[in-house]
Order: sequence, then C-alpha cells, then structure tokens
Amino acid sequence: MTTRQLLLGIELLVLLACLVLALSVIWSKVTRLRRERRTAQSLAPVRGALIELAAGEPGGLRILRSARGKTADAIDEAAVALLAKVRGEPANQLVTVLEDHGALERAKAEVSHRSPVRRARAVQLLGLARVEDSTALISEALEDEASEVRASAAYAASYLADPWLAAPLLRSVGTGEGIPAGLAADALLEMGVEIAPVLRAAMRNPAPRTRMVAAHVAGVGTFVQALPELRELIAADPDVTVRVEAAEALGSIGQDSEVELLARHTRPDQPTDLRRACAEAMGRIGSPLAHDDLVHLLDADDPRLAEMAAESLVAIGPRGMATLDGRRDEPAAGTALVLAALRAGQR
Amino acid sequence: MNGFRDGLSAVVQWLYDVTSVPILVYFVVINLSFLLLIITAGFQFRRYLRMRDASVDTLGGELALGVSVVMPAHNEEVGIVTSTTAMLSLRYPRHEVVVVDDGSTDNTFGVLREAFDLVQIPREVPMDLPVRAEILGVYVPRDGHTRLVVVRKANSGRSEAINAGVNVAVEPLIAFIDADSILEPDALLRVSKPFTDDPTRMVATGGTIRAVNGSRVVSGRLVRLAMPTQWVARIQVVEYLRAFLVGRTGWSRLGMLILISGAFGMFRRDVVVDAGGLDPDSIGEDFELVLRIHRRMMDEGRDYAVEFVPEPVCWTEVPSTLSVLARQRRRWHRGLWETLWAYRGMLFNRRYGRIGFLALPYYWVFELFAPLLEGFGIVVVVLGLALGMVNVPYALLFLVLAYGLAILVTLAAMSVEEWAFHRYNRWRDLLTTLAAAVLENIGYRQLTVWWRLGGWWASLRKKEQVWGVMTRAGFDEAAD
Repeated sequence: MTTRQLLLGIELLVLLACLVLALSVIWSKVTRLRRERRTAQSLAPVRGALIELAAGEPGGLRILRSARGKTADAIDEAAVALLAKVRGEPANQLVTVLEDHGALERAKAEVSHRSPVRRARAVQLLGLARVEDSTALISEALEDEASEVRASAAYAASYLADPWLAAPLLRSVGTGEGIPAGLAADALLEMGVEIAPVLRAAMRNPAPRTRMVAAHVAGVGTFVQALPELRELIAADPDVTVRVEAAEALGSIGQDSEVELLARHTRPDQPTDLRRACAEAMGRIGSPLAHDDLVHLLDADDPRLAEMAAESLVAIGPRGMATLDGRRDEPAAGTALVLAALRAGQR
Repeated sequence: MNGFRDGLSAVVQWLYDVTSVPILVYFVVINLSFLLLIITAGFQFRRYLRMRDASVDTLGGELALGVSVVMPAHNEEVGIVTSTTAMLSLRYPRHEVVVVDDGSTDNTFGVLREAFDLVQIPREVPMDLPVRAEILGVYVPRDGHTRLVVVRKANSGRSEAINAGVNVAVEPLIAFIDADSILEPDALLRVSKPFTDDPTRMVATGGTIRAVNGSRVVSGRLVRLAMPTQWVARIQVVEYLRAFLVGRTGWSRLGMLILISGAFGMFRRDVVVDAGGLDPDSIGEDFELVLRIHRRMMDEGRDYAVEFVPEPVCWTEVPSTLSVLARQRRRWHRGLWETLWAYRGMLFNRRYGRIGFLALPYYWVFELFAPLLEGFGIVVVVLGLALGMVNVPYALLFLVLAYGLAILVTLAAMSVEEWAFHRYNRWRDLLTTLAAAVLENIGYRQLTVWWRLGGWWASLRKKEQVWGVMTRAGFDEAAD
C-alpha cells in the first residue's frame, strides 16, 4: 500500500466517522422530539386526573388505576416524578396507582437487573413508594458497583428513613467513590434519634468524609449523645474541614458546657478557619458564659475573627450589646452594631 | 534570480527533510490525544446521563456549603444592577454576593447605591490575601437582609479586585464570576454539587461556559437561546463546545483538570487563601491559580480533587469582531506561555504525578506549540507550492485529512451537546453549527494561529500587556 492510498483510506474513515456523527446529531434530535411528542400524547387524556390527584383531589383515581399499555407507562413515569414532590394522602394514592400497574413488583425484580439505570430507577421507586420490605434491597444497593445505583439507594433511604440503613450509609460514604456525602447526610437526618450510636461510631471512622457527615448530622439533628465524639473531633481530628464541622455542630447543639472548649480553639495557635468557626459557634450557643472570651477576641489580629466575635456578642444579648456599645469606635464592634441595627430595621 | 530560487528551494527541501517525520509524529500523536479525550469525555457523559436517567438530581440539601459570589466590576454602570440582582436571585440555600467596584470611573457605584440603598459599615477588611490597592469602603443594603456586600477600592485590575472580594467573603466556597456573565438559575447548585458530594476532598470546580451572542436575555437571565448572527461568533460557539464538552470533560475524567475558566469557577475559600489568591501580575491568572493549587496540594501530600461540571451554567458574550478577538487570543496565548514557563519545574517531576507527566506536557506541546507548528506548516507548504516542490494532490490529501480530523472532534462535541443537553432547539441553529464546524478551518483557524503567535512573541519581547476594551454588542433585550 502506498502512502497516498493509506492517506486516502484514513480520509475515508474520517469522512465516514464525520458522517456518522453528523447523522447521530440529527437522529438524536429527531428521536428525542418524537419521544417527547409520544409521551405527551399518551399522557394527554389523563393529565388532568394526575394533577388533581397530586393536588389531593382523588376524582380521577379510577381512570389512572385502570389505565393500561403505553398510557400506564406514561402515568407511572409521571407518578414517580410527582412522588418526589408530594406527601401524605396524594402520595399514598399515587403509590396505589403504581401498585395497580404492577410497577412496584417490577421494581423489586429489577433491583438485580443488569442495566445500572434500571437498577437505579427500581431502587429509587422502592424508596419513593416507601415499600416497607425493601430495606434489605436498598442496603445491598448501597454497595452496588455502579455509582448511580448507590446514589439512588441513598436517595431512597431518605424516604424509607429506616434507622437500620444508617450503618450501611455511613459505611458507603467513606469508601472509594462511595455515595455522595450530601445524599447520605440528608438520608441520615430523616432517621431520628435511634441512629445516635451509629453516628458516634462513625465519628471514629478512618475516612474523613464519614467523620464529617456524621459530625454534620449530629449538629443539625441536635444529637446531644454525640457530644463526647464531637469534642474529640474538634480537638484532634487530622482534617481541618472535619474540625470546623465539629465546631459548627457544637454550636448547633447549643450546650453552655461547650463554650470553654470552643473558646480554647479560638486561640492563635489554631487554624484560622477553626478559630472563626468556634467564634461563630459561641454566638450560636448564645450563652453569657462566652462573654469574656468573646470580648478578648475583639482584639484579635484577624479582623474577621474580631467581627465574628462581635456578632456573637450581639447574639448573647444585652450584656454583649452593652460591651460593644462601649467599644463602638472599633471596626469590629462598630460593624456588628450597625448590622444589628439594620437587621432590626433601626437605620 | 534563479540563484535565489535555487537557494530557497534547497532551504525548503532541507526543512522538509528535517521536519517531515517529527511533524508527522506530532500530527499522529495530537490526533490520538484528541481521540483519547473524546473517549474519556464519552465515558464521563455516559456516567452523567446514567445518573440523570436514574433521576437522581438532588441539588442543595443540608450539606450544601455556603457560597460567596465574588463579582469584580470596572465601569459596568449599564449592567451592574441587573447582574447583581440576577446573582442575588440564584437558586441556592445560602449565598452572598460580593461586588468589588474596582475604581470605576463611571457611575457603577452610584447606580448600585441607589438600587440597593447601600449604607457604609466600618468593617476592617481582613488581609487574608494581599491587596496593594486601597480599600475605600464596604457597603451593605439598608434592609439588613439582602446578602449583598459592595467593596469600593482603587483601580488595580481584576485579580486584585477578586482577591479583595475573597477577603470580604464569609462563606466557605467562593465563586468567581465576571459581571457580564449570565448564569443559569441553578448554576451555583450544579457547580457546588461536587463539593457537597465530596466535601473533604473537593477544592475547585469549573462550569461550562457558552456563547450568549444572538440570544435573548431579560433581567440578567437567558430566556431564548439562539446562534449568533456573525460567523466570527458562530465559530466561537463551536470552539467553546469543543473546548468544554471534549477537552475539559476529558481532562476532568482523567483527574488532570488544570484549567478553570475565569468567567465562572468555584473554589474552597481556605484553599484559595492558602495558595495566595490570584496573582495580579499574571496574564493567565485563572490558569495560574489552578496550577498553584495543584502544586501546593501535591507538595503537602493532600488527597484532593478538581472537577469539571459539563452542564451549561454560564453564558458569556464572545468577541464579535476580528480586532477584539485578536486581542483576546493574543492575551490567552501569552497567559498560557507565561504560566507554563513559570511552572516548568512541575514538568516531569515525579512529585506532581499525572499533572507533571501528562497534563502539563500536553499543554506545552499541543496547546503552546500548536500555533508555531501550524504556522510553520502553512509557510513551508505555501513556499513549496510556489517553488513547485510540493506534490499538490498529496498536499491536498493531507490538508483534507488534517481539517477532517478537526471537524471530527467538533462533531463529537456537537453530538454530546445534542445527546446530553440539546440547548439549541431550532433546526436552523443545528445546521448553522454544522456549517461553522466546517468554515472554522477556512481562514479563521489560520488567523488564530497568527494571533496566538503574536501573543507569544509579545511576551518574549517583554512587551507590556495592554488589556484593551472588550467591545460588547449587548444582548437582545427587546420584546419578541
């Protein structure tokens, strides 16, 4: 083969690839538009009934339950989308529609389907429909090889809110790619106080992501039982992000007893972000016990820290305000007072 | 005359002999690398689409970190109120907007003060990042609730303005946004998602930038997307599609993203502060910052990630005249050269792993040197044709192959756009994009080679960089 023939051959291949890509663009657009039109047509006769059902008016429930074929498929797809947005009786009625169409049974079977998209959708539907006996399936899915299935399982866990899922969730969040930390946190927050022991154990997990999620959930969920672990994290965690999260959690839990620990971590030998987080947390606790430490911070070299201390003094009430008033010529105190006045609509 | 011709022929022949094999190798390797990027980007999109098909599109949530949107503004009197209002109304659970008026000589601050009823506060701005210019004042809205902070400072350029904004910012994440950028309503949610997913490792994310020329924008929101009317801008639409949907997505998938566009990037504040912020003396300041972050993270042996979000989140007006485009491309290439040169110590250094052994060499060879080689090729082929030394059919075959491969990469990006995002709804726009992918190779591409070489040459001659004015045509704000 000559060079010229080789070039021609490659050119033909490139031309062919270009044609295939250009046609794929056009084909993709045509099929998408057709699919959208088909779905709209299938849904058109029952759209009103679906909207009524989601709004809590079950007038069209019979029509929706009795639908079959492509219309039923379109209803199921719309019902799944609606399930993520409605609660209470409308959600229960959407679940009955899905049950009648056999969608929930199919979902149970498809949890082990070879397509990861089918598995993910199945797991998600089981969660959205709050199918009680699906906890074990969702726990397994949290360790699925496909990231979208793991993410769907975490999302489903937030609907099932079964505390038994807390341990697998926290285990999965810290491994390799794991599950997205945000999804895990949202799911854990739905599970109530029963997960406290699991959270406490997770704060000693070697993975920083697990410790951070556990600390965050402990703070937002006000898990008082987790205070000893949060104290350990703020004092000695090797990851500053986790220490900051622990400080914020202590502030959210809001116990006076934590003021001394937080104050200790506002010292100049601590990382800047931790010092600032602790000063803010002291304000969130709002305890007068923090007064003297916060006043001391008004003289900090870091102007942001001084301002946060001043804002925390505002948060602890009249005594803090009086102190700031006496130092209103200083930038930190002056700024906090102006902002407080603006928020109160006094300027 | 014949003597000159013979001498020139001998030189050209020598050039052919010396460079033909290296150039052929370069040609093969660069196209293989494009192919690799297309494939890796394809994997990334497969994963993205699977996630989307699985309907897990949870954004925000309890773990979403707060964001400070830092927006530098210099003489933006006309659009600053609209931009600020649009930024304030972005969907996000906790965000503030920090506008830095960088010594505007028009009424930028005046219109802001009037629109938001600003009052000055005696805040002392922390110098977490060094700012040489004087801070003239910090202002907040009188209502006490709108999360807007306006900083007035003496003029010292975009980088210093952003650094001043970072100093004022209070949230753990910082988004750098140009005042003339148009953001999607959920842009912050999407670009911050990698931080929510992986809060202990993620340090920076970049979003896809698209060209907004020709589209309809109302109150700082894109309401109807259309292709631009000028071919210069149309070709840039194609360039942006290729750069973001193939290039950056591929690099991100490989864990080697070293460039986040200055028009919209998100960073962890503590990491930016730790790295020293944007370098006010750098031309390619965004590229320089990301490289500095990589170097610092690897020097400290930290486990970290930089990720690219392929969804279209930010729309910007691209140059619609050749003169403005020329200035932009000169500046970009100069910035590329100066940054790569400044970080030459990372090249083939084991400490910097894949960045040092793959990403940086790629940028040196296939980004920095590409215009030099392409320019050389054009000159030598033209000379060869003039001297009758070139086998014309053979040269044409090679030319068609080179440009055919370039079109192939663009078509791959277009396929991804239609497959994953399909933002251009009209058939006419699709056909225009296809035409632009072909026309790009006739004239436009050769001009960019010239401009890029000009930028590089200016840097080598240590010519002072003049930023010039980005003449903007504005958006179609009129009613339909």
